[in-house]
Amino acid sequence: MVRSKITNTEHKINLYENVMQIVFFISALVSVMAVIAICLFLLLRGIPAIAEIGFMNFVFNEKWGPANVPASYGILSMIVGSMYVTAGAIVIGVPIGLLCAVFLAEFCPDNLYRIVKPAVNLLAGIPSIIYGFFGMEIVVPFVRESFGGNGFSILSASIILGIMILPTVISISESSIRAVPSSYAEGSLGLGATKEETVFRVVVPAAKSGVLTSIILGIGRAVGETMAVVMVAGNSVMPLNKIALLKPIRTLTTNIVTEMSYASGLHEASLIGTGVVLFVFIIILNTALSLLKSKSSRN
Amino acid sequence: MIKNKKVLFVVSVMILLVLAGCSKEKTSSGFSSDKEITVVARDAASGTRGAFHEIMGIIKKQGETQVDNLVVGAIEFDGTDKVITAVEGDKYAIGYISLGSVSERTKAVAVDGVKPTVENVKSGAYSVSRPFLLVTKGSENNLVKDFMKFAESAQGQKIVNDMKYIASAEASSEYTSSGMSGTIKVAGSTSVTPLMEKLQEAYQQLNPDVKFEMQSNGSSQGIKAAIDGSYDIGMSSRELKDEEAKQLNKHILAIDGIAVIVNNDNTFDGLSGSDITKIYTGEITKWSEVK
Repeated sequence: MVRSKITNTEHKINLYENVMQIVFFISALVSVMAVIAICLFLLLRGIPAIAEIGFMNFVFNEKWGPANVPASYGILSMIVGSMYVTAGAIVIGVPIGLLCAVFLAEFCPDNLYRIVKPAVNLLAGIPSIIYGFFGMEIVVPFVRESFGGNGFSILSASIILGIMILPTVISISESSIRAVPSSYAEGSLGLGATKEETVFRVVVPAAKSGVLTSIILGIGRAVGETMAVVMVAGNSVMPLNKIALLKPIRTLTTNIVTEMSYASGLHEASLIGTGVVLFVFIIILNTALSLLKSKSSRN
Repeated sequence: MIKNKKVLFVVSVMILLVLAGCSKEKTSSGFSSDKEITVVARDAASGTRGAFHEIMGIIKKQGETQVDNLVVGAIEFDGTDKVITAVEGDKYAIGYISLGSVSERTKAVAVDGVKPTVENVKSGAYSVSRPFLLVTKGSENNLVKDFMKFAESAQGQKIVNDMKYIASAEASSEYTSSGMSGTIKVAGSTSVTPLMEKLQEAYQQLNPDVKFEMQSNGSSQGIKAAIDGSYDIGMSSRELKDEEAKQLNKHILAIDGIAVIVNNDNTFDGLSGSDITKIYTGEITKWSEVK
């Protein structure tokens, strides 16, 4: 009697385990399938379009005129545009984010931390359309009045994206700074260095790989951001020699979103081709990220 | 310590920038005409853009080729709302939107001395307008005839008005359900599509046995499909070309005026058509050059 009871519960546990194993396996499968499905969609729809337009004509041509006869589908201007806007976001967002992270991790009094940290987290949760509205109503007029031009510009997009990558940069940098062993700081302080010297010469350099990771993730966010950028960048396809900080610009993402609604035929396919190029950008970033991680774990 | 000074420098520069922005914003009020015009346009795939650029001669056709000469650096938006917001916020901006979307947020200017009003579009005095057409080929079958009757009836034209387009004709007769059944295949203009969908919904409520097949693929495609007979009705948001008109029956569903809008602070109340073209092609870059 007793023995059979035990085997019965064991049997139940085994069954339960098996079922849960399948549940976990399916959960894992869903995300993998989603990635595969998206890749297939992009490649199957995008590659033929790029082939029809011609790779060189697509990627290294700055003339975008889908409504012209004959039409031209060059996205070089948008590739360069994405790079400029992202670089601008890094220039604006990384110094502020990094200094904020240092402050939060090393200098911030506890009662202030209780305000600043949730504020940073809230910044991450604001929907991008809100950033776009803020940009269109506040940042664009600000840039127009202070720097000239019409406000819809690389600068406006960079400012908005710079703010948007702050939470990513701050939270990852902060945790990597906190992860630096306290013996480093103690050693430095013990040698007579001031607190500031210790933080900037010893602790932050020791957290280098975490900081780099935060920057790469920030770049990923900036490259892929669409809704906020479309409202502040002006979306003009600029010839390369006319691109300027205070002039409008079109990025890869905004090219897709501005024209997708009405596009048809090769025009639509060329927008998916634009998505393929964007996807390649993200893959390069992710590769850089994993290289960085494997390097830092070896150290 | 050196790093500390750098931090201090960055922070003080930021504060200065913000202060500079605030103080400048306060001093600049009023419209100064020597400023550059901010040209706002729609995206390349937009029907409104296609019609406006064609009417104003921004699109240059030469034999087989066709080039949109929109000035480099013109801002492009994928929606009327964003065009309005951009023009509302920029004193020196100019944009174009469907007449139905004009509000007090911006100022719709007269073109060649004619104000953009429903009456002027109806009478044909306001030149920047486009017809929404439904085209068919040869003798129409009873089902298509019935749908056309609905579209041109009081109910159909009320939907046109509700969608803020201009009804093509004074609402004539009430439509009564015919109890028809079958399928109507419709293709064409993306601009006409929203209106067409509303009409179909209302028609199907009266005639539940009628089905629609819709393809939203642009005016030219719709006209082509009607000519080769693969679709019953083609939708067009532009006037037919001569060779197309010869082969098709034309029903004017509605008329859509396109209003040219400027900021409320702009001192111009009217522009000439040729100046608008010059602004959009970049021949005129400053408001002071506009006559």
